[in-house]
Amino acid sequence: MESKTFWECNKAYILTALGLGVVGFVFVGFMMIMDWGYLIQYTMHMMIGDTSGVLTAPASELEQMVNAAFGPAYNSVAPEIIRASNERQEYIWYVFFAEIMIFVFLYVKNGRLTPTITRPDDMVQVLTPFQRTVIWLNIGMILMLVLTGFNITWSLRSDGGDLPRLLREFHELTGLAWIGVWLVFTVIAAKDLKGWRKNTLFRHILPGSFKPSKRVIWFFYAAMGAGLCFSGAMIITLHPSSLTHADVIQFRRVLLYLHFGASVLIMFFILDFVYASAISVKGYLKGLWTGSYPREYLEQVAPDVLEDLKKAGRQ
Amino acid sequence: MTRMKFYCDDYRCIDCNGCVVACKEAHEIPVGVNRRRVITINEGIEGKQKSLSVACMHCSDAPCQKVCPTDCFYIRTDGIVLHDKDKCIGCGYCLYACPFGAPQFGHEGIFGVKGVMDKCTFCAGGPDDTLSETEFEHYGQNRIAEGKIPMCASMCSTKALIAGDASEVDKIYEYRTAKRGGNTSLKPYGWEAYNNGK
Repeated sequence: MESKTFWECNKAYILTALGLGVVGFVFVGFMMIMDWGYLIQYTMHMMIGDTSGVLTAPASELEQMVNAAFGPAYNSVAPEIIRASNERQEYIWYVFFAEIMIFVFLYVKNGRLTPTITRPDDMVQVLTPFQRTVIWLNIGMILMLVLTGFNITWSLRSDGGDLPRLLREFHELTGLAWIGVWLVFTVIAAKDLKGWRKNTLFRHILPGSFKPSKRVIWFFYAAMGAGLCFSGAMIITLHPSSLTHADVIQFRRVLLYLHFGASVLIMFFILDFVYASAISVKGYLKGLWTGSYPREYLEQVAPDVLEDLKKAGRQ
Repeated sequence: MTRMKFYCDDYRCIDCNGCVVACKEAHEIPVGVNRRRVITINEGIEGKQKSLSVACMHCSDAPCQKVCPTDCFYIRTDGIVLHDKDKCIGCGYCLYACPFGAPQFGHEGIFGVKGVMDKCTFCAGGPDDTLSETEFEHYGQNRIAEGKIPMCASMCSTKALIAGDASEVDKIYEYRTAKRGGNTSLKPYGWEAYNNGK
């Protein structure tokens, strides 16, 4: 059996950590105006159930009144929300452009794998109807969420109005519905965990073991999806009245920031997935619909899936 | 140049909520939306209980305007911050950016969907035709156009809530504070909140 070095085994994880580390360092160090000390302390307070944002007892009557009337520590989180909102409107195009440039570079460097299929009738059933339903629901909902979510950013161009308002409402409704789909996919994503792999139920949901690079995408899908589902659901349901405003506004600000951050990261890795499964290799979209793939396609593009199907006795 | 401002004297406010009721009644504001609210701290503690009437403070450098993705806010030459409900998409970003919790979102229809934003207009209406029915339906009374001060301030029984030209309001604040032996260099609640986080 071929032995692999640590670098070969963990290359995807190391490169992802390095890339995110560099981007994170630049953002946190030079662009963000968040009070990180406050945010860390606040997060610890939240963990013990205190979401008010008041970290220390007010030192003066003025501070006590400000906390009660307006909510605490405005300058800790809100200016960062304002900055991030503005930058999403102005600079989101540059983020997409940079990401596409990365893929163009990879495409030029690595080329495209186009499998040769000589026996088109030799098909292998890979995906069950349940899996295909979940996949298509996920594709549809994510497309809808991206379009309606970024609609908020784009509505500056459309001058607001009824259509962007309707799309904003649709974003919330679709987001709530997506929680279930995300959960099923998260189970799929976690199937590679050692303990879960032994469980026949999870093995049945999605056969095939992923390469580390694909596993990174799944991990981010699961983690960022959790952030989006939690923050989105809380933002919708935890709407303050005029009298509860001061109690919840800081919590909502942090949730919105989590929503912003998670949406950026999940978008990056979804685009990464699209590149990995349809650009860097010739995709087989028909397989997502019928559930069957040519055996030669799997042998050349995803031999690990074929191997797992054999082990599971489905071949 | 004239800049319109509110000032609430916490030594005079008695938590009667008259301003809240007057505002809701004057502008026919639906249930669940309060353009103005009264906050009380240390309730029941003798000598320490204080109340404050809070609404949009019509910031000079309004963060709601900065953050709005549809650019629905505009600031009049007299400093009153208004918004266009036909442009608002109800995203709620202004709520996160506002230091005072002024933006309000009602729930519309049988499903209680979040509606567009509503906030204190300083009784100055909105972008629709002045004193038209449409303006009233969207924004309530336009008392400023009629030469009147906002309803909340006009009916405040203890004159805790004052509205008008900032320089005039500031004079009243300084007079009252000096009379009480207070520090006049400290600004009223909300006047500096956005700038220094207090």
